[in-house]
This record gives sequence, C-alpha cells and structure tokens, in this order.
Amino acid sequence: MEFKQVVGNRRTIRYFDPNKPVEPEKIQVMLEAANRASRAVNADFTKAIVCYRDELTDEIREQLKTPTMTVQLDLAPVTIFWYGDTTFADGAQARLKQLVDLGALPVTHGWSHAYVDDVAYAQVVQPLSKDAMASTWAVSVECGLAIAQAMLAGVDEGLGVGLHAFNGANAKEVLKVPDHWIPMWVLLVGYPAESPDGGGQRPRPPLEHNFFRGAYGTPWVEIPEVTERLKREGMIQEPMNAERRHKEVRELAERFGLPL
Amino acid sequence: MTPEEFWKARTIERWAESAGHHADPPHVHQERLRVLEAFCNYTERSPDELVAFCFLRKRATGDRFVSVKRRVTVNEWLAAFVAEQGWKAKEAVQKANIVRSFLIHNGVLIQGDVWRGD
Repeated sequence: MEFKQVVGNRRTIRYFDPNKPVEPEKIQVMLEAANRASRAVNADFTKAIVCYRDELTDEIREQLKTPTMTVQLDLAPVTIFWYGDTTFADGAQARLKQLVDLGALPVTHGWSHAYVDDVAYAQVVQPLSKDAMASTWAVSVECGLAIAQAMLAGVDEGLGVGLHAFNGANAKEVLKVPDHWIPMWVLLVGYPAESPDGGGQRPRPPLEHNFFRGAYGTPWVEIPEVTERLKREGMIQEPMNAERRHKEVRELAERFGLPL
Repeated sequence: MTPEEFWKARTIERWAESAGHHADPPHVHQERLRVLEAFCNYTERSPDELVAFCFLRKRATGDRFVSVKRRVTVNEWLAAFVAEQGWKAKEAVQKANIVRSFLIHNGVLIQGDVWRGD
C-alpha cells in the first residue's frame, strides 16, 4: 500500500473480529517498524510485550481487564503493551561514539569522541536521565514515534489497530514488567469486524488551526492543489457519516450482544 | 422501592431519552425495563441509587468521579444476577448489557462481557 494511503486508512478500530487469528508474521512486521523508528542517542527507549488473547490463561485475562477495557480485550486477538525504558542512558556514551565512528554523527557537524564524553553524554544525556520529569518526557516522545510506526505498519499489513490507555499497576504484575519500565499505551490488533474505514475519517481542523509558518500567529496557508492531490492519493478521505456509522454500531452491538 | 418509584426514576427517563428508546416498539422497551427492575430488586437499590453507587467523591477536592472498584462490584453483581436468572450464552451477555446500557446513558462508563460465538 502507498504510504499516503496507509496514513489515510488508519482508524482507531473498536470492533475486531474475535475469531480471526492474526498472523505472527504481521506482528513481526509491526515490531520491526517500531525498531526502525527515529530514536535519540540510538537508545532502546521502546519496549513491548505482545499478548495473544487465546494464549493467556483465563485468570490473567481477567486480571488485565478493567471496567473500561473489557470489550476491547475480549474482541482483539492481539494486545501489545508498550513501555518506555527509563534506563535509556545506559550505554549511551558507547552508542554515540559508535555513530561517530560510522559517520552517522559526522565531524562536519561538530561530532567527535571528545564531544561525546565531555558534552553530549556528561552534560546532556546523563543529567536528563536523572531528572524524572525530563526523562519521562523523552521516553514518552521516543516511544510515541515507535508506536506510530508500528500502527501504520499494521494498517499496511491489512490489520486494524487501536491505541488505548491501560491499567499499569495490573499489567505490571501480570506481565512481570521490570521496575524501570513505565507504561505508555496498549495497542489492540486484529482484523476489523467493523468496516475498515471505521465509518469515515474523524473530524480534523484545517492545517491553519494548528500549524504556523515563521512564528506563532502566522498560520500555514494550505496549497489547494496539494490538498486535492492528497484526496486522490488517499491521505484525505471522506469524513464520517453519522447515520451510516450508527447503523453499523447497532449491527455490531447485536452481533456481540453489546449495550446500546 | 415501589413499582411507581421505579418507573418514575429520573435515571430511567434519562436512559430512555439518551438511547432513543421511545422510537422502539413498546414491548422492546418494556422488556428492558423488566430486566433492569429485576436487577434493581436483586441489588435492593433503586435505579437512581444504582447510578449513584458508581460514583464517589475525592476526599481532597470533593470532586465526583466514577469509581473503578464500584464498577467492578456492579459487574460482579451482574454476573451473579445473570447466573441466578438462568440466562446462558448470548442471552446472558445481552441481558447483562441492558443494565450496563442504563448505567452508560447515565454517565457510567462500564464494560462487560462480549458474545464471541457465531
């Protein structure tokens, strides 16, 4: 699938076909996409635990459920719990020097082993890793990048995906999560039971609402030809049709016995 | 709780209005109410009290919030109620979710069982 089509096709899928298995090969593609994401100091910020619903014991499945995360966990054949590793600074010095040696951090931009030792690591990475708020910010941003790539890779593989919050305390115990991992999001994965377009694209404001040129207050001016091209290429799609969506929700509620 | 008190509960009106029950055939709505009434009798709470049970207030600020523990308790009550009624398979899921629908339309985000059979 073309990249723009993948971005345009992504929805938060809330109804998965509970009985259609997800191929591990496709999950591996998603994990590799996360592994290839941009990452500061080339650190392993992002961790994930992949859970196949039917491989979990009833007891563990019940422990992972909360009153706000029961339907999704029952419907999605695969659940990926994403975590951020707060020990990202460990080994950062050596990794940065490796990137200098490889030329990824080039001398033309001021990089050297001495700069890594005296400044990049000693004055930036190490202090940041010891500041809880700054460290959580860095871990969260870096994990977000990786998770986004995994989601899009899933869509590219023909899967439905949905990102949600989860109960970190429950999951930590059940999944045996180390103390230095902090919970990020849970990604539900499966084949959509709903229409893959989820009833259409969710409402988004025009670019000028959020994006600026030069300075805040000067909105980005949309180029109409580009907008039209993105419609043709699938990044911008038909907006949600409430009537069609509500009809589909009623049908899904009937199929799964859900409340209306 | 008398039958009159049940039918006049503010939360019942809110449920019907929010979910658009007035557009459904009367027997469908009556069946929903019968399930909810039976559950209310089982828990010895009026519909309004059942909704109120799901909320607590923060000690520090007094802000009202939907309690996770209380919702877990409601789900446990529902499981026991459904078993007592003898409902099984999809019917058990659907009937319990009638009660959850009532709570949802009164501001309580609560999820329960899903029917995954064909």
